[in-house]
Amino acid sequence: MSEKALSGIRVLDLTHYIAGPYCTKILADYGGDVVKVERPGVGDAARSMGPFPEDTPNPEGSGHFLYLNTNKKSVTLNLKSATGQQVLKDMVKQSNVLVENFSPRVMPSLGLGYDTLKKVNPGLAMVSISNFGQTGPYRDYRATDLTMWGLSGILWECGEPDKEPLKMGANVSEYIGGLYAALVALAVLRYRDETGVGQHVDVSIAEAMHTMQPSMTLVFSYAGFVRKRSGVHFPWGILPCDDGYVGFFLPTQAHWELLCALLGMPELRDKPEYETPMMREERRDEVTAIIRSWLQGRLMEDVFHAAQELRLPLTIVPNPEQILSLPQHKAREYFVDIDHPVAGRLTYPGAPFRLSETPWQAGRAPLLGENNEEVYCGRLGYSRERLAKLKEESVI
Amino acid sequence: MAELPLKGVRIVDTCIYWAGPMATVLLADLGAEVIKIESIQRLDHLRLLGGWPSPDGYEWSAVFNGANRNKYGITLNLNHPRGKEIFRSLVKIGDVVTENFSPRVMENWGLHYKALREINPRVIMLSMPGFGTTGPWRNYVTFGPNVEMVSGMPTVSGYPGGEPMMTGYIADPAAGLMGAVAVMVALRHRQRTGEGQHIDLSQMEAITTFMGGPIMDYVMNGRAGVRRGNRHPSLAPYGVYRCQGEDQWVTITVSSESEWSRFCKALGNPSWTREPKFANNLGRHKNHDELDRLIEGWTGERDKHEVMRSLQGAGVAAAPVLDFAEVLTDAHIEQRGFFEVVTRPVTGTHPHAGFPAKFSETPVSIRKPAPTLGQDTEYILKELLGMSQADLKELADQEIIGTEPQGWAFKMESDEAISRLKDIHTKGG
Repeated sequence: MSEKALSGIRVLDLTHYIAGPYCTKILADYGGDVVKVERPGVGDAARSMGPFPEDTPNPEGSGHFLYLNTNKKSVTLNLKSATGQQVLKDMVKQSNVLVENFSPRVMPSLGLGYDTLKKVNPGLAMVSISNFGQTGPYRDYRATDLTMWGLSGILWECGEPDKEPLKMGANVSEYIGGLYAALVALAVLRYRDETGVGQHVDVSIAEAMHTMQPSMTLVFSYAGFVRKRSGVHFPWGILPCDDGYVGFFLPTQAHWELLCALLGMPELRDKPEYETPMMREERRDEVTAIIRSWLQGRLMEDVFHAAQELRLPLTIVPNPEQILSLPQHKAREYFVDIDHPVAGRLTYPGAPFRLSETPWQAGRAPLLGENNEEVYCGRLGYSRERLAKLKEESVI
Repeated sequence: MAELPLKGVRIVDTCIYWAGPMATVLLADLGAEVIKIESIQRLDHLRLLGGWPSPDGYEWSAVFNGANRNKYGITLNLNHPRGKEIFRSLVKIGDVVTENFSPRVMENWGLHYKALREINPRVIMLSMPGFGTTGPWRNYVTFGPNVEMVSGMPTVSGYPGGEPMMTGYIADPAAGLMGAVAVMVALRHRQRTGEGQHIDLSQMEAITTFMGGPIMDYVMNGRAGVRRGNRHPSLAPYGVYRCQGEDQWVTITVSSESEWSRFCKALGNPSWTREPKFANNLGRHKNHDELDRLIEGWTGERDKHEVMRSLQGAGVAAAPVLDFAEVLTDAHIEQRGFFEVVTRPVTGTHPHAGFPAKFSETPVSIRKPAPTLGQDTEYILKELLGMSQADLKELADQEIIGTEPQGWAFKMESDEAISRLKDIHTKGG
């Protein structure tokens, strides 16, 4: 087996749903050895969230689970039982990193808080991901992706001014929280390697999401104003062509001139009523109508290439079907086909970044408890009898 | 005080705009020594976004000042042979080089990965152009909004029946965060093997990984995405509801039958909650519009914080939609100490958003505000490269280094410029 960038890192993965699994997916896809601990019988909640092939629920067929758990091993373990907690501590001894995204009171209530686990393994790097963080008055509050958008300040700014604030469709806050967790996991692991000292890191998804905007709190502090949400309007735009959408962002005068060139309407550039950016914004409905009508009868890829020839920042805005066939993705072989014993061969998004010497590798998600024997007998040295007994007692 | 996790990692940073600087600011927060390179001929363009059109406006960009803290800032004209030579000297003593130009820029300067590896065989180079360093689109231009667009996210974002929508800014910082992770992965490999490498990060590819759900749905079921506003594909109620006051909102999401009964109880079990059509999730989802009107009848008479307290008290996910002024004073965020008060030359003392994680052994904080233009040139060239005052004078005379931007011609006073911007932004589009 060839060396991977994260070969040799042993990750104990107590995560579920999206944020935690996305973190450990990144560690696993670059070579980390990730053992995912799942609840006996049901497993990670993402196994029941779909999408499913033909909309038929199946714990081994959830699109979210399959995508977010590539290259991991799965063991089942009942963390509520005393035996299960002891088994987990045995695994902690053999791990460098533990990642979890339970609500903050869960790990301590199971007797598995950081203070306990660091006695088991003083060098352990433990990363806890939660919606609001491990401390503070909201720590035990419930939340979803939408809640995080609201609390971060970003939701208030998105959408049309005369409508309710609008969240984007993908579960962005959870991915962002997971990415921060991957970053800090690797950072504290480095610190552990240099100093021998482990530690606990508390990642707050609400705070993580707040960092995804252009320092608007600082703008408020500098100048005392809060920008109102203003939709996607000129000098931005996402507008329809015949076969889909194109989008643009025209921040400068030079970009406006390029747009006039793209439209083949040099006369627009010389019109006094469109002379400055502010004048164009005031007449944005007119300007948009001109662009909209020019796009009729055109194909998005033709418009994209024509614009880019002029170095105009305009792109295709693909739907999930069109994403899969974008020529740039094809040329770089971004999407990968992965076989899975139950879900079959499916196409998945590939590497988020490419390393010249230690490539990312495609691999499939595990079946529930698929690696029980390998981990419990092979790594922890439990006998087959003990494994059978754990099963009998519903610990695994 | 404990040392920081990335102590001893030196990053030579040519990144401009936002995605690249976001990658290096996170590494700087974690303790790396980041040397940010601009030139007096060409400022980091991020300084011009949201800055005021005033004589010192390029120091007033909030997004620049947020994305460049904890870094050293130097000026160096890389179009000048002497500038390139100094850059190479920095690479020689550096660990990581970062750039987010379009691929031909570093190539034209002769500062591409192969050339840098000749100077420093262990170097890690992060390149993060919009579309990656290969492929037919490699030299195409993108800004952050374009990356968000081409990731496909807008086609699953928008009001039901409406056109695609976007944040317009999420792709830059998210791609930057991915860049920071990429550097950490490569550093880990180098730590074990001594081998450096080149990281090719296509911002489009990085952001497309967030589209796992909608892409898998297409792959499995041929559904090419729908725009459903704030609604969930199957759970209800789920949305943003109007509260007392002007433009005040609360998010409420009910994810299970037991959460629904807690929700009803928190509202005092009004009769409509007992209607058969709302009895289960399927029915509630089917009758979402009506359900929303009834819920808004309740939230509309209440303060958004009061709604959060009563619903969360009952175990229901709800939180106010905060604007950016409210985020600064939110009780929870404040108690976590997320904002740090930092004093910076020119801009003065302000609260700055900190790192979104707390470390038990190596607390991360804002140790140094974003550099003013060329602030640390003298320190870096003298301390790291052993140059003399006479060398610096010569470089300044040749305009290779400096602290005053060339061609910056804004005459408007700050106060006037700010009030003009305020007018534009608060009109609400």
